[in-house]
Amino acid sequence: MKKNSHIFKRTMVRLLGNERYQSVSVPLFAIALSLLAGAVVILFLGKNPLVAYQNLLQGSGLLPKPSYAGFKSMLTDFASFLNAWTPMLFASLSVAVALRAGLFNIGVSGQMLTAGFLTTLIVGYSSLAAPVAKPLVLIVGMLGGAAVGGLIGWLKHQFNINEVVSSIMLNYIAQYVISFFINTYYVNPVSRQSNAVSKAARLTLMDTPVGNLKMDIPLGIVLALLAAFMVKFLLDRTVFGYEIKCVGTSRNAARYAGIHVGRTMVASMVCSGALAGLAGVTYYLGYFGSIQPRVLAGTGFDAIAVSLLANSNPLGIIFSSFLVTIISKGSTYMNSSSGLESEISSVITGLILLFSACGAFIRYKVKEFQDEQKEETERGKG
Amino acid sequence: MERIIIDGLSFSLPLFIMAIGGIYSEKSGITNLALEGLQGVGAFVGALAAVLAAGSFADQSQAPFYIAVIFAILGGMAYSLLHALLCIRFKANQVISGVVINILAMALTAFLTKYLNRSVFGAASDKFVLGVSARITVPVLSQLPVLGAAFQDLYPFELIIVAVALIAWYVMDKTRYGMNLRACGDNPHAVDAAGVNVGQVRLLAVMVSGGLSGLAGICFAYSISANFSSSIYVGYGYLAIAALIFGNWTILPTLGSCLLFGFARSGGYYLVQKLQMPSSYSDLVMTLPYVVTLLLLIFFSKYNRAPRALGEIYDKGKR
Repeated sequence: MKKNSHIFKRTMVRLLGNERYQSVSVPLFAIALSLLAGAVVILFLGKNPLVAYQNLLQGSGLLPKPSYAGFKSMLTDFASFLNAWTPMLFASLSVAVALRAGLFNIGVSGQMLTAGFLTTLIVGYSSLAAPVAKPLVLIVGMLGGAAVGGLIGWLKHQFNINEVVSSIMLNYIAQYVISFFINTYYVNPVSRQSNAVSKAARLTLMDTPVGNLKMDIPLGIVLALLAAFMVKFLLDRTVFGYEIKCVGTSRNAARYAGIHVGRTMVASMVCSGALAGLAGVTYYLGYFGSIQPRVLAGTGFDAIAVSLLANSNPLGIIFSSFLVTIISKGSTYMNSSSGLESEISSVITGLILLFSACGAFIRYKVKEFQDEQKEETERGKG
Repeated sequence: MERIIIDGLSFSLPLFIMAIGGIYSEKSGITNLALEGLQGVGAFVGALAAVLAAGSFADQSQAPFYIAVIFAILGGMAYSLLHALLCIRFKANQVISGVVINILAMALTAFLTKYLNRSVFGAASDKFVLGVSARITVPVLSQLPVLGAAFQDLYPFELIIVAVALIAWYVMDKTRYGMNLRACGDNPHAVDAAGVNVGQVRLLAVMVSGGLSGLAGICFAYSISANFSSSIYVGYGYLAIAALIFGNWTILPTLGSCLLFGFARSGGYYLVQKLQMPSSYSDLVMTLPYVVTLLLLIFFSKYNRAPRALGEIYDKGKR
């Protein structure tokens, strides 16, 4: 028994001991643990976990499926995957910016919905031409999201209201108020959703014929990838980014250093809200073309997992959001091909969250093992 | 008027007992945003027990309800151990841990409900149907003018909640454990110096919050929705947190804020019915408790004094 624990400690140190790579190795460890836990659950349900995970990749267009319908191929699946990835990337960046300032923006879903609804009303139902409508969608979406995000930051700064509580309240208020407006004025009687937005305002070119395929081309993905690099630059290379980091690490120290803590908090929430707004427009005017009343997008909550997993590093987020989107996007195909409930995917995402929340503990334990070993070797020498 | 009081009470009391759970946890120094998930898992376990047990009782029997209550409390407690593990042993960020637990609870219960319905009960459904529990009217007191409505058409769980709340108040304010608990939230080092295990006190407090949240969850399931489904997650856990912040982490004022939420909600529904507005207006009414919460927090959070060591990881070596 003692020997086993010794081997376990040795492997842990060898795998995760190098501090330079810990920002990558610890999240990878968390992912591996949660995929393993998910596999155990799937095994327990009497299904083959390898096939299930393969189905996830197939559903995301990363592996070929055994058969395709007309006008469809792996490429169309992948385009549709990119379409779903875009809002996830924006939403995760939004969570990350707030997290850097020590704020926990759990209201991304509400900000997405508000931005999506405002944009749908102002641009989506107008008859503007595409070259005007598409940029306008982005601008209105950013402003709408930024307003809600800023409000949360201001409430925190001015009245010391816990941002988690206020953003949850705003989530529900947005959800019900917008559902009221949709059901009263803009409902499509057949689909029970809001009326579809005009084609010109849509951020995804739907059913575009390419060769012998019909693809959904998401325009937002380019912008989302660009945004990841811009946020990285903003956080790591500008004064504002430095101030955000200071406030996030220690509010008192930041205050002594002469940083306007309140202003920085509000500003970071405005940025976070604007990114959430972009997530909203790429979701409601890109991936979907309409809004389902009374439902908040799960993206905003999955984004927390993504951001924690990447330790709120914008470039890490590109990878972690890719992974989480595979899990959520591929689950539909997994459901139809191996009969597993598609909810299992959100369980796996939840497990990833759980294990990445333990990241600090894993690091601490590995350090402890390392020190133990060092002591032992020194004793061996002496 | 009577309906407002009756419906308001049946909403505020479960909220109140959940808020008491939150007070226990937060007074001991553990931020508990996990109430939402705890009540959901508690309700899930309770509902499952009730559905499994329902076959062996007569149709009108209330026994499944009491079984459900017991199992909901146990389920909430068991799930809260996860929060305790993350916050006390693994020293994770308590806010993050709470949110993680909520998200995991939502995913797990939605998945398990669907899976169990299909494999055990052979029905493709995403809910456990429970029905609404029977109501009782207290004979003499209900004849009182105006206040009498508070004793009419009571759900049995309202009586349970009042009893549990009294016990919770006694333990918190009058016993040695309660004193240690409150001290843990303000100065854990002093508690440690007095020879009491801080981690243990906090663990118990989190478990109490889990049990009470589970109780609240099954009460919501048996009254408002009449079934268990993922619609149980509509933010009542967060409302309870707002209520306890507004109640300044003390039990009696928290009851006041819970009653306010309850009456705001039932009053709103009453208005929609009375003015014969179309049903989509009930969406607007649904926002009332949330709006009231935000406004109250704006006006009152300045006077609040949170437990001093709230949300801080207890580190023996630190001073």
